[in-house]
Amino acid sequence: MSSTMPMQEYISPGHMACPGCGAVLAMRYILNVLGEKTVVVIPASCWSVIDGVFPYSAVRVPLFHTAFETAASVASGIKAGLDIQGDTETTVLAFAGDGATFDIGFQALSGAAERNEDFIYVCYDNEAYMNTGVQRSSATPYGAWTTTTPVRHPKDRPKKRILEIMAAHEIPYAATASIAYPDDLSAKVKKAKGIYGTKFLHIFSPCPTGWKSKSSQIIKIARLAVHTKVFPLYEVENGFTFHINMEPKNIPVREYLKLQGRFAHLSEEDIADIQRQVDEEWEHLLKRALY
Amino acid sequence: MVERVLLKGNIAIAKGAIAAGCRYYFGYPITPQNDIPEYLSSELPKVGGTFIQAESEVASINMVLGASAAGARVMTSSSGPGISLMQEGMSYMAGSELPGLIVNVMRVGPGLGGIAPTQGDYFQATKGGGHGDYFNIVLAPASVQEMYDLAIKAFELSDKYRNPAMILCDAILGQMKEPVALEEAEEVTLEAKPWALDGSKGRKPQFLKTLYLSDGEQEAHNLELKEKYDRIREEEALFEGKGLGDCEIVVVAFGTVSRIVKTAIQMARKEGIKIGMIRPITLFPFPASIIRETAKKIPRIMVVEMNTGQMLEDVKLSIENGVKLGFYGRPGGGIPTPEEILKEIKVMLDEEGF
Repeated sequence: MSSTMPMQEYISPGHMACPGCGAVLAMRYILNVLGEKTVVVIPASCWSVIDGVFPYSAVRVPLFHTAFETAASVASGIKAGLDIQGDTETTVLAFAGDGATFDIGFQALSGAAERNEDFIYVCYDNEAYMNTGVQRSSATPYGAWTTTTPVRHPKDRPKKRILEIMAAHEIPYAATASIAYPDDLSAKVKKAKGIYGTKFLHIFSPCPTGWKSKSSQIIKIARLAVHTKVFPLYEVENGFTFHINMEPKNIPVREYLKLQGRFAHLSEEDIADIQRQVDEEWEHLLKRALY
Repeated sequence: MVERVLLKGNIAIAKGAIAAGCRYYFGYPITPQNDIPEYLSSELPKVGGTFIQAESEVASINMVLGASAAGARVMTSSSGPGISLMQEGMSYMAGSELPGLIVNVMRVGPGLGGIAPTQGDYFQATKGGGHGDYFNIVLAPASVQEMYDLAIKAFELSDKYRNPAMILCDAILGQMKEPVALEEAEEVTLEAKPWALDGSKGRKPQFLKTLYLSDGEQEAHNLELKEKYDRIREEEALFEGKGLGDCEIVVVAFGTVSRIVKTAIQMARKEGIKIGMIRPITLFPFPASIIRETAKKIPRIMVVEMNTGQMLEDVKLSIENGVKLGFYGRPGGGIPTPEEILKEIKVMLDEEGF
């Protein structure tokens, strides 16, 4: 089987992620495409630990740790700093978790997107604050257990539709991607690199630790997320042009939920409810895509 | 009946808050204090309370401010960068004289730092921290029992003076387990808050504000606040004294470090060296007068902290000329051993010709 993915690696062995971490694969695939002329900006997140203990780093490109809420602001500043020195070649990559993107860093991200700052912003989404011990975020899906949404009252609100929110800023490029489909992911990174302005990539990054799933099953879970329509792969250009990149196989959502302990408490009714929500969102997306 | 249970420090604070009648918690994840929101997310609903995980610390502290303005007993907890983000809200709370508990389980800094124990936020906690001319009431527990007791005390002082109160601790106190005596839960009756914004049916609307624009109005407000802080200084300073009767030197230390100093004192007594200790329990108000009076009798003081010398400045301001003042500090997550502390004390005593 051939692959369109570049083979040059920018992540070294010995990083500090948990076994089966989706976020490491996300960074690896992205840097494979972006190459060494990249500056990575990382707010407080799992990745502020994963890259290793200073002065060592598992990432072979320059990397800057920022405060939780500031990835997009610091990326804006670095880009301006490079511009003023005449460096138009280096890609600035903000690489933030869902907490830093959906919650605390959203103000900075929205501001940067409205100004159309020229960088790639990646949200690696593991659907909770994993680095601090699995607390809910506004990316946590409906019905999920976390340490602050205990089984007695699990999350009762849907996940924020971040891609549509970002697309609504009319930025040139916004796309979802999954670590289970590296060719699609790599193609999107390559496309983003070639566009001027704010590019937003929302990458589905399973977390076996926080999802109470097996490390060996994260790729399967990520594939199921796409094919149960829980996490469709699509892209939005200039705010309005929606393309669905992969036709889901329409697998019942139960198959996805049952591999994760964070959903173990759900009743048949709850699962039916989630199926209904997923179907509705898919219909909503189809309408946008046809538009 | 007093129940003794083995508890983690963070959980003891959460239990103390519930025992104090706090029913509202607003917070945001950050290590090493996550046990507090996690515990309260499951326990507060059981007692009819409300737990909200906010989208940031800015949101958390302003939810605290809002609930407090409505008259509720309310708290939040955080660490390092999160506490920094809360400073604006705390300044507004101090300015509009709103009570509320803020727990800071300190982590090392500056910047993202790390989660190791430290006392690096002493200045931020005790000197205001945000903008404007104000102080927080600051309590520094040194045991898991005190995490529980001082959580209750903090709410009482905070309501009494209509002023934000902070518990300043660290990862050791937050994460270690010790037996705690829990008072039998009584129905807590909170004193009425006639100033609260709870609708104006049948009375004139009232205001809570921090914006004073007329000539002299802000100055008058600040002077009123000063009078309150002076009263707090006068009436609320707490400390623990140990071996002050017959010692050659006095160590001043708070929180985690004071526990290590106690071991150093025991080791020294075996060698015939008599060391006393003053442990400030309130950092604001700072127990200046006991330090001043003690230093008149024993003019040798050693300050030990897990920072590069912050409480040291308050000790300096407490003593008069002629007192020999030493300092030993370990910043950035360094934890002094009893041997190190004893060695530093011996060096100081040698210099003094003991």
